[in-house]
Amino acid sequence: MPSESVAPLRVLIVDNDAARARQVEEGLAGDAVVHSATQVHGRVLLDLIAEIGPDVIIMDCQSPDRDTIESLRQVAQSNPKPIVMFVEEEGISSMQAAIDAGVSAYVIDGLTPKRVRPLIDTAIARFKQMDKMRAELRKTKDDLASRKAIERAKGLLMERQGMTENQAFSAMRDMSQQQGKPLKDVAESVITIFGIIGSTGGKDAL
Amino acid sequence: MTRTTLKLGFAQLSDCAPIAIAKEHGLFDANGLDVDLIRYASWAAMRDALGSGIIDAAHMLSPIVVASAAGLGPFPGAFTTALTLNLNGNAITVSTALFNEMTENAPETMTHCPLSAAALKSAINVRASLGAPPLTLAHVYTHSMHAYELRYWLAAAGIDPDEDVRLVVVPPSQMVNALWEGQIDGFCVGEPWNNAAISAGIGRTLITSGEIWSNGPEKVLAVRHDWADRHPDLHQALLRSVLKACQWLDQPINRIAAARVISSSNYVGIPFEDIVGSLSGDGHQTAGRLQMDMPDFNVFHRYAANFPWHSHAKWILSQMVRWGEAPADLDYDAIARSAFQPDTYRSVAKSMGIACPDLDEKIEGTHAHAWLMTEASAPIAFGPDRFLDRRIFDPADTKNYAAGFDIRHRGSRLGERDESQALTLVRAAR
Repeated sequence: MPSESVAPLRVLIVDNDAARARQVEEGLAGDAVVHSATQVHGRVLLDLIAEIGPDVIIMDCQSPDRDTIESLRQVAQSNPKPIVMFVEEEGISSMQAAIDAGVSAYVIDGLTPKRVRPLIDTAIARFKQMDKMRAELRKTKDDLASRKAIERAKGLLMERQGMTENQAFSAMRDMSQQQGKPLKDVAESVITIFGIIGSTGGKDAL
Repeated sequence: MTRTTLKLGFAQLSDCAPIAIAKEHGLFDANGLDVDLIRYASWAAMRDALGSGIIDAAHMLSPIVVASAAGLGPFPGAFTTALTLNLNGNAITVSTALFNEMTENAPETMTHCPLSAAALKSAINVRASLGAPPLTLAHVYTHSMHAYELRYWLAAAGIDPDEDVRLVVVPPSQMVNALWEGQIDGFCVGEPWNNAAISAGIGRTLITSGEIWSNGPEKVLAVRHDWADRHPDLHQALLRSVLKACQWLDQPINRIAAARVISSSNYVGIPFEDIVGSLSGDGHQTAGRLQMDMPDFNVFHRYAANFPWHSHAKWILSQMVRWGEAPADLDYDAIARSAFQPDTYRSVAKSMGIACPDLDEKIEGTHAHAWLMTEASAPIAFGPDRFLDRRIFDPADTKNYAAGFDIRHRGSRLGERDESQALTLVRAAR
């Protein structure tokens, strides 16, 4: 691409997720002039597209704003050129790959797929990377939540049932294995049950 | 027997009720199907998911299936349906400011019901003479009943939707906010979004879709041709499940229970009080100030609502031609047959003891009142099928019907790719 003496592509990223939009923007910045739009919809989005005049629009394929972009397929006065979904050109399997990664791309004014392909690939990679980061963050949060729940349940068993810490942990671990439930779920059940007992004075419950 | 898990896409709208009820009442299960429901926020996203096999079936805009059959868009010839999910169900709402402007400009036209767009035309003329920017009206998708209903209503009053106003596509969930912020002056959308604009005190509903074309098709249960051909048993089981749900939804008393189901965050996620009217039909606003009970605001089963009429597909095609989205030289019969499958519907409905029309198409627009269809396996009561402007649609003459409108788009509004797809189809038809 750098060998081609043509103007850099103008790319618009439409993503209501600001963090991901920034990621994709950074990823593409070397190869294109990138604008990003977050939380911009409908008429305002169309006005923005008319103003920027992007060659390519890259967006979250689940975004409700896609229907607005799709309306540009029909030739309008402000956008005299048709818009075609890039992945269409590549057949269903690559379309599916793009959809799986969460990316859809619209190409304006009959650009060759060759020029656009690297941009799309970068966008797909960035979308996937963001997904992975999210999953890791979620896992960290979940781990933290389950550790807290287990500690709290242990505390309740020790305080109310007079167990030692080891007894409390073994009791929950055994139940987890018997019932095939994660330890966290067992701990949460323990907390819930003590909550009920606590609120009724511990006599009529269960 | 191994059970198959099907994936079914749906949109966050009141008329997802047949899908929601089939799931929550175990009707899929009773027909040997495990069905995962997946909610989509964009029609393009649902279309792509269906087209590329991520989902097996979809609660889909009827014109998307017709567009595919006509070779328009990314999945030419891929989609078909054997079941219409509902009739009517949309409405046109404008900002309170525009409603007041219309009332000031042409008070004498504002007392009729159904309300014509005559006062809107006056408002447009006044704005033009003052050099004010054109009004912006929104719908939800290029190939949607919303777009064709809005265009029909505007054009019936002499407003050219491509010249006199600016039409934009706005996601349904963004409509009320866009109206509130003054980005748009009005919209045509399904429920609960018209009601939301009224409740928020920012909009007035001028006309419902059933007043533009009584009992026109809205959503269909769309599938891929190749899937339906490969899995006729699964397709039939799916149709039986959803048809059963539609039958149940037809009872007015069940609409309240259905509203509770769809108000949950798994479906529409709108409080029960705000959504119940869209299913019960109670207290719908129309003509900007009337409050009317419209039991047929959404029709899920009566009037043979689920029958996929070729005349419905052809009317949709006529509007695509009228507005420059499809070339006029189409094989209308072939496209209607590819899009809508009345025979498949009949085989399922008959096995359930549901009366079916004998014919695949009917003349639309001749009934102002309820009537009885006798050309059927058993006589079927039908509702009116009248158009706002009293025009008659003869499906045998679709091309001339499309050309017969004074206001239409004489050029092509197709993108290059759609143009080449449509041309291929025209050549194939010859």
